[in-house]
Amino acid sequence: MARKPKLLWIQSLTCNGNSHSFFNHSNLFSILSHFELIYFPLIETKYSLEDVLRKKVHSDILIIEGAIKEDLTKGGVNIKELIHHYAKESRYIITAGTCATFGGIFKQSEPEKISGFAFDKENEKEDILSLYEHRLISLPGCPIHPKWLSYVLLMIINRRRIPLDEKNRPQELYGFTVHTGCVRNEYFEWKIDTHGFGHKEGCSFYENGCQGPFTHGSCNKILWNDTSSKTVVGTPCFGCTEPDFPKERLFSTKTNMGIPQKMPLGIPKRAYLTVTGIAKSFKIKRLEKKVIDYEK
Amino acid sequence: MHKGYVLTKKELKRESILKTALKLFSAHGFHKTTIPDIANALNMSVGNLYNYFKSKDILAKEIIKYTSEVLGQEIQKVNLQNISSKEKIKKIVELYFKMAKEKPEMIEYFLRVYLSHREVFNDGCEGMLCVSGFVTEIMIFFDNGVESGELRNQDFFSAFGLFMGYLGGMVFLKGENILPKKLDEYIDDISENIYNALKA
Amino acid sequence: MIVKKLIEKIEGEAELEFDFQDGVIRNVDIKFNLYRGIEEILKNKAPRDALVITPRVCGICNHAHLIASVGALEDGINRSVKKFEITEKARDIREFTLACELIQNHIKWLYLTIFPNLNRVLNIQESKNYALKAMYVSNTVTKALAIFAGQWPHSSYAVPGGVTCDPTFVEVMQAKSYIEDVIRFFENVVLGIKLEEFLAIKSVTNLDKLKGDFARILFMLGKNGFGKIGQSYDRFIVFGNSKFSMPGKATATTVSGADIKFVQEFEQEGSFAKAVKYKDKFFEAGPLARGIVAKEPVIKSMHKKYKDSTLTRVFARIYESAKLLYVANEILKNLRIMQDSCTLDSKIRLEEFEGIGVAEAARGSLIHKTEIENGKIKDYQIITPTQWNLANGAAAAKAMIGLRSENIASFVFKTFDVCSVCTTH
Repeated sequence: MARKPKLLWIQSLTCNGNSHSFFNHSNLFSILSHFELIYFPLIETKYSLEDVLRKKVHSDILIIEGAIKEDLTKGGVNIKELIHHYAKESRYIITAGTCATFGGIFKQSEPEKISGFAFDKENEKEDILSLYEHRLISLPGCPIHPKWLSYVLLMIINRRRIPLDEKNRPQELYGFTVHTGCVRNEYFEWKIDTHGFGHKEGCSFYENGCQGPFTHGSCNKILWNDTSSKTVVGTPCFGCTEPDFPKERLFSTKTNMGIPQKMPLGIPKRAYLTVTGIAKSFKIKRLEKKVIDYEK
Repeated sequence: MHKGYVLTKKELKRESILKTALKLFSAHGFHKTTIPDIANALNMSVGNLYNYFKSKDILAKEIIKYTSEVLGQEIQKVNLQNISSKEKIKKIVELYFKMAKEKPEMIEYFLRVYLSHREVFNDGCEGMLCVSGFVTEIMIFFDNGVESGELRNQDFFSAFGLFMGYLGGMVFLKGENILPKKLDEYIDDISENIYNALKA
Repeated sequence: MIVKKLIEKIEGEAELEFDFQDGVIRNVDIKFNLYRGIEEILKNKAPRDALVITPRVCGICNHAHLIASVGALEDGINRSVKKFEITEKARDIREFTLACELIQNHIKWLYLTIFPNLNRVLNIQESKNYALKAMYVSNTVTKALAIFAGQWPHSSYAVPGGVTCDPTFVEVMQAKSYIEDVIRFFENVVLGIKLEEFLAIKSVTNLDKLKGDFARILFMLGKNGFGKIGQSYDRFIVFGNSKFSMPGKATATTVSGADIKFVQEFEQEGSFAKAVKYKDKFFEAGPLARGIVAKEPVIKSMHKKYKDSTLTRVFARIYESAKLLYVANEILKNLRIMQDSCTLDSKIRLEEFEGIGVAEAARGSLIHKTEIENGKIKDYQIITPTQWNLANGAAAAKAMIGLRSENIASFVFKTFDVCSVCTTH
């Protein structure tokens, strides 16, 4: 039997959310059974962090969690340098989460010093990409979706080609928008707002700031915790997979004279407004009222 | 229509019916104008006209869509120009007044037929459905202006009402022969007023 | 003699510096160094953005940050903008999801931290996959959480006035079936007896009924002297008021009121973590504190016999998991879904106020303070439970002093359920 690929998970500047998100995967141990787990921050592994820091281990698949900060050290070891050490020998480098991919939230504390591994927000870090471009897989999300990571790992094991987009994101996961599959789509079609928070009915795109229609990701195709998603429970999508996450004023839609500033991905504003004008003209009784009548 | 090919004979005929009906409705009123009147003006049989439009109500709705499209296309040309919002306002005022002068029936139709006979338009022209060609371009104009920082971000209808209510009001006054001066002589002041009200 | 130790897998890392004199630990310096500047990041943002930013303090207790954060906004709105109350439904849903997060946390701590580390300290070789048990509970209980909150980690479903979700009975039943799965796991694997039978135990003398992993861990701790090891200040503090916690402070078992205005935060040299005291004294926060302050009979009995030792501390955490499961199940049984989910207009302007929010996180009281000016966050302060317990000289350090082995001391340290990322937000 062929040797199992070595899986090494290294944390840089992070909240640990990606580790916990991945650990929550219901098929975690079947997935891990395909690999030799060198280090993962939550569970007992054969090697200690000390071993990883002293470069005593090897990596075939390197998973990076957290933003890259120039001068971050652990146990006296520069983490950026350590990541490059292992990246050089790895067949695949996966940036797990938005921090590792684009810089994420923590970048805002020291924008000049903190960035993603191969991207600084939407900008390519050419020196890094020239070295690793063909081995790099970006899996943004704050946190990473456990299943997305697991399917990519399984594709690697099963030698499937993983078609990537211009930011090295798997197209099969990020070619869709968070809007795809949202249970509130009917309300989006007919332009019916949810009117505040706490309703089963209505769409959050018009007032509550939902970024689903222009955010790359499969949150409503492959549900969170196998059960739900933000938009399902009436929380707006905050665009957490995007290079510019987090934007400002996340609970309100930015508008120009009542017209949403950002359009659904790839839709010209003129086309959107034409369709909206038509849809809004109709009062659809079924969609204007509560879905369920608990008095009956 | 802005299609990239020559209109077919049938499409040309349809458009000429719309134009003729538009003139008659505007001149004599919606109720006083009959389908035979329109057919007569076009030298066509009533039966043939019904092949194009099944009822007077449907014809009335198609006319408002048609005028909205024509006006929308004119504003679109302004929107696509690389000029400031201030200049765009003036161009929109100009083209609105030009249309009021050259094709008064279009504006008249909007004011005297569309707005005055809502019962005809309620079914099929709900909300802004039949004027979306025009409204969409006004939205694009507002959106571009706010995006560039030239116009103040505010509620759509407070801006829309100010802009279009103002122009419609002036054309109405002109139609009632109340205005002492020519419409064109008001363009500079009106443009300035609208800009001052909308600017950031 | 100074011995340095890098402690890993504690939601990040910490460096402990043990000062040994005559073979005994006289002092421990605790250093965290993963500063991320969350409080700075929040400045000048819209008030509600804190509901998205603050959960990102911590991957394991993100939900507690959300609840504390929304509490701070609501406190400020109530004091300075508009009087309002959230519905019982909204409050129950929040408490349910928070309880789920605590269960997730406690069980991970038991199986990912306590079992493997105790085995290591005691040189016990085992090939059991404890992580599988932790994963099962964490996965199942966060499914129940996500039905209301959309996802875990990093939900932002609690907003001023209530919650964004509006669950159906079908969804409540779905959540209930997950909670019942976890209860079944608890009865079969952790407790070895029925949940209600366990919660009816009032005295240490009746703990011999326990079987399962809980019995095993208590036996191993007891046999190896952890009933005497790890004693600390014996002062406890709780600020959160919920179905699973009551506010107050306790010295040993004498309980009295506690007021947030006496909480002080101060800088520590050489560490990014700030220390916290109440009226100039260190207090311990967490499940043991909650049990003592709420005068839970079995916790009092445990404390009477074993004081605030490592054994008592571990017991309190697992006991609380069982209690949380019971509370979570009761909330679902009685949830009034016909009430409003959110009672505050989402467009209400948040211009100027100060507010304080509290949540009982897994590790103890979490406090958020927000100051809003000109519609923006002027200042934001987060006091995490780990700051109560793990500052230099605080409860955990005190618990390690007097021990003779840095390995035992590190284990005692970990029984506090250390969260490095929270400490250094």
